[in-house]
Amino acid sequence: MRDFKRVGSMIRMKLTDYETALLESLVDQFLGLLEADGALSTSSDPFDRWQAEMESDEPLDRSDPVITRLFPDAYPDDPVASVEFRRLTQAKQLGDRQRQAEAVLSALADSEAGKHPVQVRLIDLDDWLKTLTAVRLSLAVRLGIQTADDTEELENLPEDDPRAYIYRVYEWIAYVTENLVSLN
Amino acid sequence: MSRPAEAGLVNWVTIVWDDPVNLMSYVAHVFVTYFGYAEEKASELMLQVHNQGKAVVSAGTREQMEIDVDAMHSYGLWATMEAG
Repeated sequence: MRDFKRVGSMIRMKLTDYETALLESLVDQFLGLLEADGALSTSSDPFDRWQAEMESDEPLDRSDPVITRLFPDAYPDDPVASVEFRRLTQAKQLGDRQRQAEAVLSALADSEAGKHPVQVRLIDLDDWLKTLTAVRLSLAVRLGIQTADDTEELENLPEDDPRAYIYRVYEWIAYVTENLVSLN
Repeated sequence: MSRPAEAGLVNWVTIVWDDPVNLMSYVAHVFVTYFGYAEEKASELMLQVHNQGKAVVSAGTREQMEIDVDAMHSYGLWATMEAG
């Protein structure tokens, strides 16, 4: 039985109740990470947003390596230009990421904990891919993956290492992403 | 037709850097979806990122490159820009 199937303008994906709950929890955590610092600047009121932008050059906590990976410096040799770039782009980027993550959560909720296949509409595919990628990037930072060699080391961890489970989750999200990309 | 003043500004590039996390198929998908590149060109650029550590994926004015870098970041790709 195939777990991923293209049906017209939709991809149907079969997830177990466990997988559905796992993905929901990971996407929720990702939303939490964005909301922890960015709540002010993603207000739907443009004036609030503008005011928040004026008050803070760096609304997100850049001591968190997940944040610096998701919002890297656009100008590696020019910190001032990089801050200015974020000031211009970050509020919209945060709002988009929240909307995309919520689209994923809503499709997962519609599957009623694995009772029905998850329906990924092709027009929403990039929302899914961006969210899954952001979750994987967050896990990669937590796992300390910086080079391909790090991945090799993680593949050979003993089962009782707490990172072994996180790494399996990381690989499972890669599997889901790969299938979604191949069916579009 | 670009005016000479504008033409003089068209010297920035967007660079995508290799990272051990993003899947090769996904990176190629981003290049096709966002830039509208043909599959072949997208695969070529993706392999260049993978094998050489980075690739110039677009060129234009500074403003255009800021839009492209922002878009690459939205896909989770590690992108920067520089004067070409």
